[in-house]
Amino acid sequence: MPLKSGERERCVTGIEGLDTILYGGIPRSNTILLTGSCGTGKTSLALEFLIHGAMKNENSLFVSVTENSEKLLTNIIPYRFFDKAMIKSGRLVFVDLPIMYERLGMTKPELSMEEVDLLVASIGDLAKELGTKRLVVDSITSVCYKLKTSEKIRDFILKLGKTLSDLNCTSILVGEVPASSTAYSSFGVEEAIADGIILMANMERRGDLLRTLQVIKMRGTMHSRAKYVLDLTPMGVLLVPLLKGGSTG
Amino acid sequence: MSPEEAFSAQKLSNELSEMPPASAISLQMSIDNYLDVIRGVLDLFANKKEMDTIYVTATISSEAIKRVLEALDIDTSRIYFVDCISHIMMGASSAQQDDHTTLVESPTMLENLMLKVEYLIRRSESKDKLVVIDSINSLAIHNNNWILSEFLHILVSGLRSREAYTIIFSVEEHTTPEISNLVNLVCDHGILAGKKEG
Repeated sequence: MPLKSGERERCVTGIEGLDTILYGGIPRSNTILLTGSCGTGKTSLALEFLIHGAMKNENSLFVSVTENSEKLLTNIIPYRFFDKAMIKSGRLVFVDLPIMYERLGMTKPELSMEEVDLLVASIGDLAKELGTKRLVVDSITSVCYKLKTSEKIRDFILKLGKTLSDLNCTSILVGEVPASSTAYSSFGVEEAIADGIILMANMERRGDLLRTLQVIKMRGTMHSRAKYVLDLTPMGVLLVPLLKGGSTG
Repeated sequence: MSPEEAFSAQKLSNELSEMPPASAISLQMSIDNYLDVIRGVLDLFANKKEMDTIYVTATISSEAIKRVLEALDIDTSRIYFVDCISHIMMGASSAQQDDHTTLVESPTMLENLMLKVEYLIRRSESKDKLVVIDSINSLAIHNNNWILSEFLHILVSGLRSREAYTIIFSVEEHTTPEISNLVNLVCDHGILAGKKEG
């Protein structure tokens, strides 16, 4: 469908409920912070975003920081639409960042400014070489622990976002926050730089624990700001509106 | 049919057969007819019309309904249960989740109930589908009318847009005017299955 004047091209996530919330998908080449506490479904949603990309013949790259990608694949939800041929054909690629650190000689617990630049360039080169159109870093928080200072974190995310955007690549940076946190990121920097923030949470209501999703900001598109309840199923992430009649918040 | 009129499974079947696709039907029954109504509805839609049927049970466990249907020789291969009562009764170990049974932890988790229905609708390859809510009275024990009304509105609107039939059970003896109102608000048709004949 042709775009209206001034309207940005969309990266259709393939997650029907999310695309509806975003009025058609993530504006292409945006860098999104997908944040939330543990067990809220961040990795599953990010992975589904890449799988749908691979299904649309968009090369997709998963940069795993905390979990070995082989282990990640064994724990993956048995999505009905997932086909291992996507990996064999190179449409869906998994890279373990600790291996990249090792190859780049980044063995110290803290990265220098030069090493930050080298890391951004290496991810950018890999994305360029693979023709990546969708990228996930899981998690950006773990990378930030190696950067330590706000300046380096800001520098890293800004440069990474710019590099990927120049490649017309839409990226999701997975962030982790403690369950009790009211902030959207651990270091307070990530949220300010990202083009969009998708918040995933566990919400308790009368003793029931519901998984929720809310789009806090998204540059380049209108979007719903309402809270939705989600379920991780073999048909993918499903979303329904949070019923207000029972909401405590 | 007036509430005073006697119930017969055949009459019920005839009335349901006339309902156009994507109908939302309020089916109010006498407590005496509960099992006959279940049999009549499932036999008509799941067996005769060969329609995938998603049966949301908040009244009795899916295991108990399956046993009744088996005793009545009704084929359950097209019936998929969303069971929101077994877990809360601590009977989840006997009601195993399988391809035909999905458990929802509690009837208060109405969003999860909608998500399970949505999942089964998407998974179904059947052209026509039926969703049965058994029953609004049981859901009303665990939820206030505000949230129940919102739930019915979102669920039924979604099912109608997918051209699925919805049948909402209510039990005459337990129904208040408020519950009748919120069911009538979302349903296109009302059927009263009164006392048994004879």
